[in-house]
Amino acid sequence: MGSKRGRSVIAATFIFFSMSCLNSISTTQAGTSMLDSDTFCISDQYIMKSYFTTQSSLKESEFRNFLRLQQCSENIPYEKDVPVVAMLQHREVTGEGSHRHLLTTIKLLRQSHLHELVIVERLPLGVFADPFELQSLQQRRAFSDVSVFGDTDLEQPSFRSNRSVVEIHVEINGNGEISVELPLHARYQLIGESGYSRVEFGEPDLFLCSRHVPNQEHQQRRCLVLSVGRSKTQTRSVVWDIPAGIRSHTEYVSVITFVAAVLSAFSILVASVLSSKVESCKNTKEL
Amino acid sequence: MASGESPYKRTTYRYSPLLALLLVPNSIIHRSWGKFIFSASDLLVGLFIREILKLRKVVCTVSVMVWLLNPFTFTIGTRGNCEPIVCAMILWIIFSLMKGNLSQAAFWYGLVVHFRVYPIIYALPIILVLDSKLFRSGPKPSLEDWNSHTSSTEKKTFHFSVRSLFSRERIMFGLISGGVFLACNAVSFYFYGHEFLHEALLYHLTRTDPRHNFSIYFYHIYLHYERQFSAVEKLISFLPQFTLQLALVFSFSKDPVFCMFLQTVAFVAFNKVITAQYFVWFYCLLPLILPWSRMKLKWEGILCIILWIGAQTHWLLWGYMLEFKGVNVLLQLWMASLVFLAANTFVLVKIIQRHRFSPLFRQYGSSDGKNVEKLD
Repeated sequence: MGSKRGRSVIAATFIFFSMSCLNSISTTQAGTSMLDSDTFCISDQYIMKSYFTTQSSLKESEFRNFLRLQQCSENIPYEKDVPVVAMLQHREVTGEGSHRHLLTTIKLLRQSHLHELVIVERLPLGVFADPFELQSLQQRRAFSDVSVFGDTDLEQPSFRSNRSVVEIHVEINGNGEISVELPLHARYQLIGESGYSRVEFGEPDLFLCSRHVPNQEHQQRRCLVLSVGRSKTQTRSVVWDIPAGIRSHTEYVSVITFVAAVLSAFSILVASVLSSKVESCKNTKEL
Repeated sequence: MASGESPYKRTTYRYSPLLALLLVPNSIIHRSWGKFIFSASDLLVGLFIREILKLRKVVCTVSVMVWLLNPFTFTIGTRGNCEPIVCAMILWIIFSLMKGNLSQAAFWYGLVVHFRVYPIIYALPIILVLDSKLFRSGPKPSLEDWNSHTSSTEKKTFHFSVRSLFSRERIMFGLISGGVFLACNAVSFYFYGHEFLHEALLYHLTRTDPRHNFSIYFYHIYLHYERQFSAVEKLISFLPQFTLQLALVFSFSKDPVFCMFLQTVAFVAFNKVITAQYFVWFYCLLPLILPWSRMKLKWEGILCIILWIGAQTHWLLWGYMLEFKGVNVLLQLWMASLVFLAANTFVLVKIIQRHRFSPLFRQYGSSDGKNVEKLD
């Protein structure tokens, strides 16, 4: 009797593990577990705009809490949404130098009545997006809407700036596959020893929202939090190595800079004084 | 600004609100209005160069062409940079001084310093040239006739006495230009408050940009950016610039145009930040000194041009590697800025050595018969 039960337990365990292995997608929940409905409502045009009215940091936990608190009002009909899974098919930083693009390809695995995909890209410290550039991309219809929140100072080096967030809205067309290319620029990095500073990109937060209706500012929009899965090929993290100053250069760069300035100034000074003397000698000779 | 907001809402706007006001028709009339204005100023500069040289009895088409046909200067206006306006104002100030219009010169000087802070370096040579022996407001000052092929018997520098330091002309110039400067700042402050003060004035005075630029100081600033510089360190790095400016003024103030040219080149070369648009500041003065240079285009002139442009191109190649290829060449880029400073120094020294010194104004006391004979 005991051995029979033991064998059943082992068989059940084995079946459980087999089923897990058969699943080729390693699903990772975006963040901590949500309430039973992963739906929330916002009144603003942008999710991050609502967030920054009450919060100021970009911590993951604070963001999750914020979303949890965005309850829908009673006039928004409650619908039990079928969970939509999105697959992060491709994510990489393309290009060379200080100006690159963050390319993200997302596939939605199920249709939904919500037609706007909202991508919230919390940029790591060290890179920034140019709001003016994004505006002109929006005018050229690359995105249906885009905005940058947080520190948008284009000139500050990395250690003087804070992080920024880009919120992109894209209309979903028939096939449910969306490709987004976000232009990014490198800030000047903290000096180090190796000459390069590594910036690592996390995953974006994805939401499906109802379309924003302009001129109805306080109309609530329903949004659904998407569970993001990564395809097998997309296992390595997305990194960008940015050139940075080398600490060991500090001493001699300062000294040589100052010496060069003094020598150059001195040469010009001598030339000026000599030129004055030459002219006055000429004058006295002519007299 | 057209919708009543502050121009400083754009974080990179660092100019006077007057410039934004000038460009409001961009939103109303046509979006290229600004570029038309700047290009028109560019042509105006060409006209002023010709008029100033005519006043000095020089006909030099080459000089005018050096400005009008310089591909760098005309593209600066067409790409939307406001430097041609500043150049036009500076040349108008010189022209007014030569005509004896002191109040006009003072008005535009106050305005141009409000517009762009750098013309403050011309304060000393202008004040010095307003020596009452040379310049009296009212009667037109008599300009030195350099065609008489005789060098002046006067010393190059001014005699100083406390009384002459506070001559009527100098006080008037100081009061009018100071008044205009303060009035412009007061109006701007009234409308835009502290934002105006920080962005349009203080930023330029305290600017230390760690991002790569032609200046030899950029890497030094970047490597020390985590900690602030002490007052002593700031003073030490300012000393070569300051000393050089004083030396140039006291060596060449009687020829204020030449003095201003040298000061501008030196100011740009030793500044903490150098961007290519600053070159326009001395490009507009170069045509005014060329007729007095003994430098021949072959081969000394060509050598200077090649060295200066070559040093810039060399820097730009390293800059390209850093910014567009992402390779850490910060050290090489910094060395390229040292080479550029060396090229600037070389060209400046050569220009000084080859310049035929010619005072702008003739001394009042000596414009009688006695000296006229001597000049013959």
